[in-house]
Amino acid sequence: MASMKEINLRIKSISGTRQITKAMELVAISKLSKARERIDRTRPFYTELYSALSDVAAAVSPLDTGFCRKGDIKRRCIVVIAGDRGLAGGYNSNVFRYFDENAGDNPLVLPLGKRAVEHFERRGFELISDEYMSVEDIDVGDCFEISRLLCKMFLDGEFDCLSCVYTNFVSMLGQEPAELRLLPLDKELISDGSAPKFTLVEPGAGAVFNSIIPDAVAGLLWGAVCESFASELASRRTAMESATSNADDIIADLRLKYNKARKSSITQQITEIVSGAGAEQ
Amino acid sequence: MAEFHLKILSPDGVFFDGSAKQLSLRSVDGDVSILAGHIPYLTAVGIGECRVYTDGDEPRRAACCGGLLNVTREGVFLAPTTFEWAENIDSDRAEAAKQKALDRIASPKSDAQKKLAQIKLQRAELRIKVAGTRK
Repeated sequence: MASMKEINLRIKSISGTRQITKAMELVAISKLSKARERIDRTRPFYTELYSALSDVAAAVSPLDTGFCRKGDIKRRCIVVIAGDRGLAGGYNSNVFRYFDENAGDNPLVLPLGKRAVEHFERRGFELISDEYMSVEDIDVGDCFEISRLLCKMFLDGEFDCLSCVYTNFVSMLGQEPAELRLLPLDKELISDGSAPKFTLVEPGAGAVFNSIIPDAVAGLLWGAVCESFASELASRRTAMESATSNADDIIADLRLKYNKARKSSITQQITEIVSGAGAEQ
Repeated sequence: MAEFHLKILSPDGVFFDGSAKQLSLRSVDGDVSILAGHIPYLTAVGIGECRVYTDGDEPRRAACCGGLLNVTREGVFLAPTTFEWAENIDSDRAEAAKQKALDRIASPKSDAQKKLAQIKLQRAELRIKVAGTRK
């Protein structure tokens, strides 16, 4: 059996770790409630936006705008949203695994979040930008900037398919990585199969689409960022909660061992004293 | 007067979800007004004042920039990039933004930046104007 001193040291170190995990859990909980509010605010916006876009897709003809170019996909571009930090359970690795399964050959990558930037840099992917190191600090304005950049690259033909890998916030306990197709705008892609409806488009289809599509892409990206950030926090909360309870278990176990060691050492001392006294008589 | 269902949603949240009699706003091409029974219509929203008429004669006014307006048989959907009701506009901030944009236009670092500053100036002036309509 380990000595009392050793056990005591381990208890101390585990208590320290427990304090950290508990603190991280509390931080995640408080941030999470804000992030969930943000989701509640933005969700109606981008679900409506997505259905409006499918109306747009039904009304559009490939001649009107470069955004619904048809043809083989030669190069894909994927926006990957992961976390800024680790210690969030499988959050980051789930996103990366999902990416590996679905990305195809040699895509262009725009990573958002420190973990994503580091991961794709290390793996030697071609990155569009590595300046979005913090998902937490990305705001709507950044999404518009990203969207303008990506739409311009798309029209210049640098890639012919744009999608976004993010994590869907299903509930506090379940978050799923998912892919959102953004460009090209494609009838088969987002239309629900109903007959195309007539829609008057003013001033002209081309002008309208070129102006609204970057906005719409930005809106959808913003939605994905909000979902991902809330997922990261929920995932961290769960991971830290179980780490804290594991620490509690280990500490309880060590306390038991410590007390056993203490008891046996006292017993031994008494035996020694008693036998010493007996020898003197 | 006939009413229609109007939804105004921006990334900042839900601004309006209910019946309205008339919606007037500025598209990229000029001012438009939507009444009930409008044919399906799609346009890009410019930078301008948006007026929503519900009950009474006085509309609710807002500063509305960018995004899209989609009129379907089911209702009207406005998804602006930014949207602020007149009563919520921070006039001091708008003045500050205007000044900043003017400074930027006076000494632009690049053409793109100048263009961006001009748009920002337009937005700030709109917000000041809309804020002025409130009582």
